[in-house]
Amino acid sequence: MTERALEGVKVLDLTHHIAGPYCTKLMADFGAEVLKVERPGGDPARRMAPFLHDEADPEKSLVFAYLNTNKQSVTLNLKSEKGIQVLKSLVEESDVLVENFAPKVMPSLGLDFETLHQINPSLVMTSISNFGQTGPYRDYKAADIVEYALGGLMYIFGAYDREPLKHAFNQAQFKAGTDAASATLMATYHQRLTGEGQRVDVSIQEAVATGLRDVVNNFTYTGAVRRRQPNHSGDLTRMRASADGHFLPNPGMGAGLNWDNVVDFLGLPELDDEKFNTPSARLANAEELGRILDEYFIKQNKYDIFYASHKRRFIFGVVQSPEEVMADPQFQARNYFVDIDHPALGTLKYPGAPFEMSATPWEARSPAPTLGEHNQEVIGQRLGHTPEQLAQMRAMQII
Amino acid sequence: MSGPLAGIRIIEMGQLIAIPFAMKLLADMGAQVIRLESTGRLESYRADSVYQNDVSGEFWNKGANFYEQNRNKLGITLDLTKPEGLQVLRELIAVADVFSENFTPRVIKNFGLEYEDLKKIKPDIIMVSSTGYGFYGPWANFGATGPATEGAAGLAYQTGYLGGPPVMAEIPYTDYTSGEHTVFAVMAALMHRLRTGQGQFVDISQTQATSATIPEVLMDYSANGRSGQRMGNQDTAMSPHGCYPCRGDDRWLTMAVATDDEWQAVCRVLGQEGWAADPRFEDSLSRWKNRDELDALIGPVTSPWDAHELMHALQKEGVAAGAVLDSKDLLFDPHLNEREFYEVVTHHDSTGIPPLPYAGRPWKLSKTPAVKGKAAPLMGEHNALVLSDLLGKTAGELAALEEAGIIGYGPTNPRPVQRPSLDEQVRQGRMQRYETDFEEQVRRAFPG
Repeated sequence: MTERALEGVKVLDLTHHIAGPYCTKLMADFGAEVLKVERPGGDPARRMAPFLHDEADPEKSLVFAYLNTNKQSVTLNLKSEKGIQVLKSLVEESDVLVENFAPKVMPSLGLDFETLHQINPSLVMTSISNFGQTGPYRDYKAADIVEYALGGLMYIFGAYDREPLKHAFNQAQFKAGTDAASATLMATYHQRLTGEGQRVDVSIQEAVATGLRDVVNNFTYTGAVRRRQPNHSGDLTRMRASADGHFLPNPGMGAGLNWDNVVDFLGLPELDDEKFNTPSARLANAEELGRILDEYFIKQNKYDIFYASHKRRFIFGVVQSPEEVMADPQFQARNYFVDIDHPALGTLKYPGAPFEMSATPWEARSPAPTLGEHNQEVIGQRLGHTPEQLAQMRAMQII
Repeated sequence: MSGPLAGIRIIEMGQLIAIPFAMKLLADMGAQVIRLESTGRLESYRADSVYQNDVSGEFWNKGANFYEQNRNKLGITLDLTKPEGLQVLRELIAVADVFSENFTPRVIKNFGLEYEDLKKIKPDIIMVSSTGYGFYGPWANFGATGPATEGAAGLAYQTGYLGGPPVMAEIPYTDYTSGEHTVFAVMAALMHRLRTGQGQFVDISQTQATSATIPEVLMDYSANGRSGQRMGNQDTAMSPHGCYPCRGDDRWLTMAVATDDEWQAVCRVLGQEGWAADPRFEDSLSRWKNRDELDALIGPVTSPWDAHELMHALQKEGVAAGAVLDSKDLLFDPHLNEREFYEVVTHHDSTGIPPLPYAGRPWKLSKTPAVKGKAAPLMGEHNALVLSDLLGKTAGELAALEEAGIIGYGPTNPRPVQRPSLDEQVRQGRMQRYETDFEEQVRRAFPG
């Protein structure tokens, strides 16, 4: 059997949507035993598009399938007394509990940290929420765009004279999920050394606000408020269009920029001119420079120029479409996309290891669970409920 | 309080953000992080964004982003191009738990610092390499910037205004994404070592870590052969979902409306009874289908509002809304401050920098909180401490190392980045504005 980094770490996973499930996915993919507790209707992410062939079936959500690999699923109605009772017996045998409800939910279910801590004093309880468990915005609602705005990333993102922009999809949720996984392991490390449990409070807003450069410190160091940057056509590192897409030139910056080398690499003798051969000349003639570069680059193939640049140790980048990402030779050499077989989705390629570990590799042991797939095994066999009791719980919509 | 990672020693050969950011977060939680620097090859964050834009004197101890990324670390200088310098590094690795670096594999191989080499010095060492595209493979030795990996990962392709080209964050965004994954990776490796006594090699590809966070499109392509179009701030299900103008210069509000109740609340707060009854917007599907029309109607109505007042008014009615905070708003945000997100750090007297607040961490641990923040090291600040206390070198040996240029206290070729004056930066549009009384404002809000 492969060594697993998080072997023996038992996680009770009360999370839903994205941030929480990504946290527990990271742990599960590196070997933790993650038991996902879903409401009887299932994690709302099961209803999230895209679906396989656009069939809106709770077992066919692609994002759900990605976020829940290597986990087991039981259903439990936490609004019933029996459901809470079952949950508390699961808490007794867990090392970690992760949840991402709104902050008022767990206490309202009688599942506040103090109560759970009494049941299991070594429990690490991680809560991920929009704005954290305290403070005036604690109960405010959010979506990824609101976290971008209140996390400070949006104001400096996008065109100078247009509305601020955010990244596509759910980046703030993923950031917070990753942070929560890290913080959970820090607390679990302490637990393994001392037997002591504790509470971990992760804020999605703070996950965004932690990862900024030249933002708050522009103000504290100089009093300046940075804006979305104007797009100078002569900017040598600006994204350019090629014949087949876009790429990122990077001829070196500051002292690392040698204009003769740039001119030689591009093969554009008209740039070997005093209009362009110093930074101040390039700034003064930015428009003309930009025009020459645009006309040249639009005729190039982005991969040709990307590979050619690296031969000269210019660190150009290439903007890849999803199709190109999946065909990327670097990803292929590293076996990044892995086949996972799922009962309703069949075999599909999934993004695999976010990083590689030599002794304890990332692995796909099992696909995302179907809803309540492990009710019998966990609530029945592990917790010792008879088939009759299980049938009764099903009838009472507890599972 | 010593933090949950007290007793763990990390040797960091980092630069810029990807590794320094991750190691800072581990240092915050109690790990002893010893950061290596070169006096010959100056870390560029030491020489840029300096305090008050003043590059006179020891500017290399005044760089904003160096302080931002290196809190709570010890700093030593070592010239690794000389055998004596490499020897000191090997001695440090022999007493370390983790060695982390973010240079290209070519550099690490040239120094003889691959995992197989380190294992001979310290059998249970955990080595972490963070590179643009991964430590092996045909692109392994391609240098990369944050934007390059944002492009390679597939994130940039999907981001941008409707009908426009790809757009990227104006920070090295993927440095942070991969840094966040690096913290997790180090913790996972430490958990494994705690149980088994074994070290290992962790190979972080900044591109892989980023692609792991966009399953929405990669899974869709994998299953359905489809890639979505760039949608600006619009969402695939919610509408309204966007960024709308508010009162003042460059002020904005975001909102995301999921349900009919929330939509009715928006109409109430904005005083638009007509919208509430308009069949084009009656349910979430019709609002989504008519989202362009809806966005065009909302902008003129939010324009007279103060962004913060509108945010609070909408949130009171249960609508997800947030003002777009600029850097000053973010620093003084009452919620972040109530949660003590910013941490005031005292700088060395010689820098002339007063105590300043810095962003903390996105987590709070109730029993084992972060250690009290100490400023990033001056160049070479802990040479003597580390080399004598940890490695047992004598004063004579230290003097010999300094004499030979193996250790030092300043760059051998000091070249600062002189930014244009603030007036010029505002004229160029790089800065929205500047405030001359910022020191007083910061001191009042963060007395330290």
